[in-house]
This record gives sequence, C-alpha cells and structure tokens, in this order.
Amino acid sequence: MTVQAQAAVAEEIPSIEPLREIPTDWDPSILAFACHYCAFAAADLAGVMRLSYAHNVKIIRMPCTGKLDHSYVLRAFERGVDGLFVAG
Amino acid sequence: MTKKGNNTKRGSVLIAGGGIGGMQAALDLADSGFKVHMIQKDPSIGGTMSMLDKTFPTGDCSMCMISPKMVEVGRHPNIVLHTLSEVTGVEGEPGDFTVTVHEQPRYVDAEKCTGCGACEKKCPKLVVSEFEQGLSKRKAIYSLLPQAVPNTRVIDPVNCLYLQRGRCKACEKFCDTGAINFDDTAKDYQLQVGAIILSPGADRYDPKIRPELGFGRWPNVVTSLQFERILSASGPFAGEIKRPSDERHPRKVAWIQCVGSRDPHNANPWCSSVCCMYATKQAVIAKEHDGSIQPTVFYMEMRAFGKDFDKYVDRAKDQYGVVYRRTMISDVKEDPDTGSLILRFAAEDGTLIEEIFDLVVLSIGFQPHADAAEFARTFGIEPNQHGFAQTSAFGPVETTRPGVYVTGIYQGPKDIPETVAQGSAVAGRSMALLGEARGTEITVQELPDEKDVAGEEPRIGVFVCHCGINISQTVDVKGVAEEMRAVPNVAYSDDLMYACAPDGQEKIKELINEHKLNRVIVASCTPRTHAPLFQDTIREVGLNKYLFELADIREQCSWCHMGQKEIATKKATEIVKMNVAKARYLQPVETDSVPVTPAAMIIGGGVAGMTSAIALADQGFDIHLVEKDDHLGGLAGNVYRTLDGSDVQAFVKEKIAAVDNHPKISVHLETEVATTGGFVGGFKTTLANGDKFDHGAIVVASGGVEYEPEEYGYKDSDRVITQRELEKQIAEGLDPGQKHYLMIQCVGSREEPLNYCSRVCCQDAIKNAIAIKEKSPSAQVTILYRDIRTYGLREDYYQKAREIGVLFVRFEPENKPQVDTGGDRLQVTAFDYVLNQNIRLHPDVVVLSTGLRPHPLTEKVGKQYKLTRNPDGFFLEAHVKLRPVDFPSEGLYVAGLAHAPKNLDETISQALAAAGRAGVLLSHDRLSVSGIISKHNRDICMSCLACFRVCPFGSPFIDEDGKVSHNEVICTGCGICAGICPAKAFQVNNFTDQQIHAMVDAATEDVFEKA
Repeated sequence: MTVQAQAAVAEEIPSIEPLREIPTDWDPSILAFACHYCAFAAADLAGVMRLSYAHNVKIIRMPCTGKLDHSYVLRAFERGVDGLFVAG
Repeated sequence: MTKKGNNTKRGSVLIAGGGIGGMQAALDLADSGFKVHMIQKDPSIGGTMSMLDKTFPTGDCSMCMISPKMVEVGRHPNIVLHTLSEVTGVEGEPGDFTVTVHEQPRYVDAEKCTGCGACEKKCPKLVVSEFEQGLSKRKAIYSLLPQAVPNTRVIDPVNCLYLQRGRCKACEKFCDTGAINFDDTAKDYQLQVGAIILSPGADRYDPKIRPELGFGRWPNVVTSLQFERILSASGPFAGEIKRPSDERHPRKVAWIQCVGSRDPHNANPWCSSVCCMYATKQAVIAKEHDGSIQPTVFYMEMRAFGKDFDKYVDRAKDQYGVVYRRTMISDVKEDPDTGSLILRFAAEDGTLIEEIFDLVVLSIGFQPHADAAEFARTFGIEPNQHGFAQTSAFGPVETTRPGVYVTGIYQGPKDIPETVAQGSAVAGRSMALLGEARGTEITVQELPDEKDVAGEEPRIGVFVCHCGINISQTVDVKGVAEEMRAVPNVAYSDDLMYACAPDGQEKIKELINEHKLNRVIVASCTPRTHAPLFQDTIREVGLNKYLFELADIREQCSWCHMGQKEIATKKATEIVKMNVAKARYLQPVETDSVPVTPAAMIIGGGVAGMTSAIALADQGFDIHLVEKDDHLGGLAGNVYRTLDGSDVQAFVKEKIAAVDNHPKISVHLETEVATTGGFVGGFKTTLANGDKFDHGAIVVASGGVEYEPEEYGYKDSDRVITQRELEKQIAEGLDPGQKHYLMIQCVGSREEPLNYCSRVCCQDAIKNAIAIKEKSPSAQVTILYRDIRTYGLREDYYQKAREIGVLFVRFEPENKPQVDTGGDRLQVTAFDYVLNQNIRLHPDVVVLSTGLRPHPLTEKVGKQYKLTRNPDGFFLEAHVKLRPVDFPSEGLYVAGLAHAPKNLDETISQALAAAGRAGVLLSHDRLSVSGIISKHNRDICMSCLACFRVCPFGSPFIDEDGKVSHNEVICTGCGICAGICPAKAFQVNNFTDQQIHAMVDAATEDVFEKA
C-alpha cells in the first residue's frame, strides 16, 4: 500500500470515542444471555448454594446460546449496558 | 387390563432402584404408555451418578445431565415414586405380579411440603452427611442433595431430637404449610404390575478393610467418591481442591488403583470396570481446577477399553502431565508434621522408592449391596457366585425369573452409558412382554378447550411468591407486587405464600377467570423445575401453556443477595418487569403432530440387527431387516464360544430361525438402501433390489469387520494365525498336544492412526488359552500383552488362566516382540520387564489377537443419513453418557459394532436398548412436535442456505421447489438458524426477537433513562 493510500485509510476511519475514566462510584450494568440447559442452571445452582455475587447482573434465558443474535448485543449496548456475558 | 387367553397382562411395571438405569427404563416405559412404580430406598432418586462431579471421557457435568432426567421422572404423570421404600415380597407370574412394598415414614407430608427448606435451617441437629461421603454435615431434617426429587424434606428418625427424646419440634414451628407430621408411620401395601425391573445399583468397597492404606486413620487419605465430592462445585469445598486435614491446597496427589478390586484375598476378585477411567478423569479435572497439582496414578493395568478411552488417557499423559506408574503401593504412612503421606512402591527395575504426596485418593471398586442376597431372595432370582444378578451371555438383562429384568451395576460392574443402554433394554423387554396391555393403566387428563386470546389486548397477571421466607426475607415481595400494578398491561398483581402449593395453584386459577387474565407470570423459583407445573395449571383453565413466564427471583435473586433487602428488591422488580415485557408479546403455540408408521427398518443382519428385529417385532411392529450378504449372522458366524463357554453358533442359528419364522419380520438379503426419504415417524425407503416400504424408525446395526494383519509375519507363514482361526481349530477338535502357542495382543489396535482398544481380543486370547490348557495341560501358552483388559466379572477367567499355567509377558508399543518366520522353528524375541532383558521363545504357533474395524458400509450409511462418525470411523451417538443408542437425528438408533467394538453380551444389551428406544417412538399413533421450535417464514426467506449449513439436526432442507423449507418435527428449538438468518425468517416460539428485545429494553430501563 502506498503512503497516500495508507493516509486515505487513516482518514476514513470514523472517530472512536476515547476511553473514559472509570468513576469511583461506578455501578456497571451487566446483562447475561444464558443457555437454559447449562449456564442458566449454573446460575440456579449458585443460588441453591447461597453463593453471593454482584447484584448488577441480570439474566435473559435462551433456549441455547446459539440463539444469540447480533441485534440483542447491539440493542443492549445501545441501551447503555456496560458489559454482556454470554454463557452456554 | 386386557385378556389374552387365560393370561391377564398388566400395563404397569415396577422398577426397584432409582438410579440412572432405573430412570431411563422408567422414562422409556412411561413415555410409551405404561404405568411405572419406582421403588427407591433413599429419600431421593438419583443414585450414584448424582454424586459424581464430571464424567469421562467428555468431562460433562454429571449433575447437569442427570438433574433434568430426575425432574422429568418426578413430574411424569405415568411414574409414581415410592421413596424410602423397599420391596418385601413378590408373587405371581410374568404379566401379573403382586409386589408387597414397605415404606418408611418420611414425617413430612409431600402434598403440603413446598420444598422451601425453612425447617432444615431451623433444625438444631447436625449429622454427618452420607451424600457428601462424610466430608460435611447435614441436618436431621434434610434433603439428600440440593436437586433432590421429590423435593420434599425428610426427617431422619435416628437423629431427630423430637423422635428420640421427645423435645424440639423446631421444624414444625417454622413450617408455614403444616407439612411436618411426627405421627407418620411405616406403611405396607401391595402393587399389581406386569413386569419387574431391578436396578438397585451397587455399594462400594470399604477401604478400612485394608489398614495398610491408612483410610480412616490418616485424614488426607480419601476415597475416590469423596474426591468426586471435593471436585464438585456443589460439594463440601465448593469445587476448590482442598485436603480434609487442614483445607490446604494439595500439590502432589496420588491415586491408588484397584482398591477392593482384583484381589480375591482381602477384597473382591472382579475388576470394577470404571476406576481406571474415573481416576484419569479426576486427575484431569483436578489439574483443570488447579494447574499446580501434580497427579500420579499408581495402577496395575490400564483398562481404558471403552470408546475413545485410550485417547483420553493419552491426553491425560501428554496434555495434562498425569504420571502413570505401573506398580502397587505396599503401604501408606503419614508424616506427622505435615499430614502428608509417604507412599512406598517398587520401581520398574525393582528398587524400592518412597515418595511423599499431599493427598491420596483410593480408587475403590463396586460391590453388591450388603443385603444383595436378601434382595435376590425377595425377588425370587438367583444371584451369581459374586452376589450380582445371574444373567447369561445371550440374555444379559434377563434374570433367572421370567418377567424380572436387570439393569446396571447389579448385573455386573459397568459405566453409565452401558447402564443407560440396559435401562432402555429392560424397558424394551417389558414392552415386548406386556405389549397388548400398553395404555391400559395410564390416566389421560381431560382438559377444557383453549381460549382464543389472539387479538386480545394482553391482560397480564403477576403472582409474586414468598416461598415461605426464602424470597420474602430478602425481597419485599408485597412491594414488588405493588409496583407491578402500575406497569402497562398488568391487569392483576399480588403476592402468594406458596405459588406452587395446591392452594396457591387453585388461587391462580380462580384469579385468571375472575380478572380474565390472558398472560400469567409467577415470580418465584427456577423455570427449569417449576415452569411445567404452572403451565399445566393455566392450561387447566383454558389458557395455552405458552402464555406463561416464570421470573426467577429465588435462585437468581433472593438466595444470592441475602441480607441486601433493598438491592434484592430492586433487582427482583427488574427481573419481573423483564418478564412482563416479554409476556406482552407471548402468543399461544399450537403443538403440531405427525403420524407414525408402526414399522422399523434395521440395517444389518448380524446379532445386533437380529436381536433388535426380534425385540421390536415381539412388540408388534413390522420389521424390515436389510442385509447386504446372502445370509444372516454377521461376524458372529466366525465365533464359536463366549468366554463363559456358551455356544455361539447354536445361538446364531436359533436367532436366524427366529427371524425367519417371525410373522412380523421381512428379511431383505443381498441388498442395500438405495434411496431414503421422509423423517422420523415416516421414513420412505427404496432398496437396491427395488423393494419399497414405509417405516417410522431406523436401527443402524451395520456391524464391523476383523482386521487382517500385515504384521508379525502373518502373510509369510502358516504357523502365524489369528485368534479367530485358532478358535475355529479348537471348535473342530484341535489337539494341542505339547505344542507351544504364543499369542500377541493388540495387533492393529491401540496405536495411531487407530488408537483404540478393540475390547474383545484379551478375552478371546484368554478363552482360547484356557481351551488349549484344558484340552492338553502339557501344552504351553504364552500371551504377550500390553494390558490385560478382562474388565468386570471377566476377570475371573484371567485369574483362571494364570492358575492353570498360562504365561503372561508384558510388552510396550515402542519395544514390540519380533517374530522371525525364516528358520525351521518360529522365533519370537520380546523384552521381559521382570528379567529386564530380551528373551527368545520358540513357539510352534504364533496367534495374533487382531482388532475390530468399522464395516466399510458404515461410511456410506453415514452419508445417506447424515450421521457423524468418530475419527476411527465408528458412529457417534447423540450423547456418550445418557443417549448411548440414539443418534442426534430423531428416529435413528445405533447398536452393535457400528457404534464401537464390544462383546457379544454388550451387543445384545445395546440391540435390545435400540429396540426399546425405537419402541417408545413407534408406540405412538402420532408424534407431537415440541412447542419450543423454530418457525420458518417462507415469505421472507431468501434460501441463502445459512440455516441449512449450521443446523446440527438437519431440519432446514431444500424443498422440491429448490427453496428452503423447515422440518419442524426434528427441530429442537435451539435457534441457531434464527441467529444466523440474515432475513430473520426464523423465529423461535417463546424466544422471538421481539420478546428478547423487549426484555433487553426492560432490563436497561434505568440505565437508558440515565444516559
């Protein structure tokens, strides 16, 4: 690739939001997509064993993690979740 | 009940034992129209498998596999569980038995108990936990395991303070449903059943009998079952590997094999079949949990005889660094300063070595329960010399009493898939016995018509459950219910003490009618166990089952955020809101059904195929048996005797005659499947000879072939023969005289590229060696071997061979024996590890133990039906543990050598299992399709084939018009197609994009507002 071409490519890259400082009182919102048969069952077992974990994880049950759709991921980030956890 | 001549046959079966074998039999029978009474001594079903952490060779989580089965058994309308029960007497004939049952009091009313566990928390009495193998404590009122089925607590009367000393009753005080009943008494009652299945499982050897190993004396010497619990995430250390004395993380861990097995003096003479593999698995899993662990396995012989087992052991060695030492431990001593253990053993060159380990695991073997003799007497069956049920080589699941069948370890030591296969086999045998009584004793519930809610505005009912205090002590249940009333479309919201209790369910039904609710949400425990219950409840008042959602605010909220009421309440509210958002878009799901042709095609006319054919034909189905040779019999045609001396040729002749004379079996010889169409329940087949027929199921029993050796001079000399050729000579009256027979094992097995054990060769060698020595004691037999794999009760014959003077000399694959056929006499050179030098032998005959290969037809059949094969060319079953004879594609089953090398009795068990599984399918007039499936919208589909490529089950297919269609019958609803479809032409019922997006939006309500 020529120097000009490289420069052209560099110019076309859309600007990416710079990483922000993590506020000290940050309470991230985490969404989990969990397979009904394994990861969802594992979350149940954690409860049965009274294992404590952070409260800010909410689980959406899937018939299989193969059901995950890019639109779910994009929708979740658009709506402001800080992290996604896909388990299955 | 139906009448057949003078015999009355009953449509019910009693199963004694609720482990995995009994559960498989129960589900197969109950799913095909038989009533099942399951008798279980323990307060919960589950058996040995429920105690295991993971399973070999796939490392699958044991509880994740067995727990859904336990739930299914517990909920099945045709299965009645009798826990804390034992059979005390059996009378009657096959088809009509009267069984007397003695049931111990539970002291907890199962009708009232909701399984909330408040009682257990308040019980002051701590008792050593049997389930945790003594590594932790339980209460006097307890459930055997967290996933217990039935999920009803039980009082252990020996340890209950009230029942022993007359004071306490804490459990009664804290039980909100009044389920505690101290006046409960033992009951004796009778059940009438048509057949009996014995699946009591087995006990384990008590290693205290061998004090030199230090169990019970040194705390860091544990049994292998204790180590399973140590590994288990739900065990005493929550999956962290700690040693009992000081809960420190061990570095060096030793496994001592054959504790209690293969030792006629201090223990049991048989091989327990599973310990080599479970020790390997435990070493691998331990290493996965904690990479700094250094595992060493001390063993006599590596018996990795099952499918893909040798590869697993190699992986343990090469990838996980597990050290295997072929030596026995003479004693175990504790270092008093560290609690570590000093193991003394002989190295290969004979020098004595002492090595220190932080933790020692004793691989204890199986043995029949202490009351096995009494058990056999009660059921009127004969035990064998070791106390297991007596069966025969050709009748591996038949006891000595007609109509009484046996499955699992009680028939002889075996692992999970063989137990499950036998579970289906005994179910199949019972179906054949009781065929005409099928459907006579089951109850079919009458339900009102479904209300048409399509087009109605959603009117959602929300029921927030207290679960006693399980939810309400952490979550403000009333607050959550209150908040839901303000949510759009919620027509009713309130709290309930126990939603799942009978009064709670009645209330839900009343409120559905009163408020004209057309969507229902219960916020309580996990949908995995409780959704089906509530689905049935709403169906009883005319709502489609799929108009229900369960919001999990117990396992996934109150139990993991205890003591954080505000946070937990907020989270519970959000969880319920997510489910409300989904419920708005819930639609009724119509479950379709397709007709089933009550006929099966069986590919392969060997022992497996013939056994399946007869078993299915006896159930009343039409059978097409397709064999490419001009005669039936398969490989067994070359076998004369089994290890126990049974006459194989006579058996094969008898089977051929039975097939030929069976009015329900059509035999198609010298032909193959030319074209195949249709799917489960309705396959359409055309054979190469032009025969055409329809059938609902397919059993693939395409068999195997014997390896024809290139090595050891087989092609150069007549004096080098195969084991099979020797067997023929013996059958024809060979006089061995004073000749020297030298046998070489593992010819063409256990080496790359075909690195698997052929399973039958060790026994063939020992069988022929014994025959030679019995005929002529002055003849000499030497067996050059790598590991003698006479697993299970076959070990008796290895013992016998050694006793009558057969010589065994071990070799390693990198230093194989050399056979020189050039001279007048044969010369074999081998390295002797005892003498530590080469030895030269001059046998008269060299006999090669050649392995088994998949039949060349396997590849073709695999392609025709899209069946996957393992790297060695054998068919892959749907699940190596729990679905050993099913293919992933519905309606197809596998049996015999097509699946993997195995012995004749194992082939027969598996063939009966395939017939049992196929029988379950064929017994239905129509096959109902699951509701949770992917729906295909042809109008927007572009036939890009993305779905076609990714579907593991082959449900999307290219239709006659060249475009994609979807076969809902074989769809499992995994939704991989929906995820990949660029046009979104696939939507999974109850998991549509619209529903998931709504859940995402609801879950992010507060962050989105903030942003």
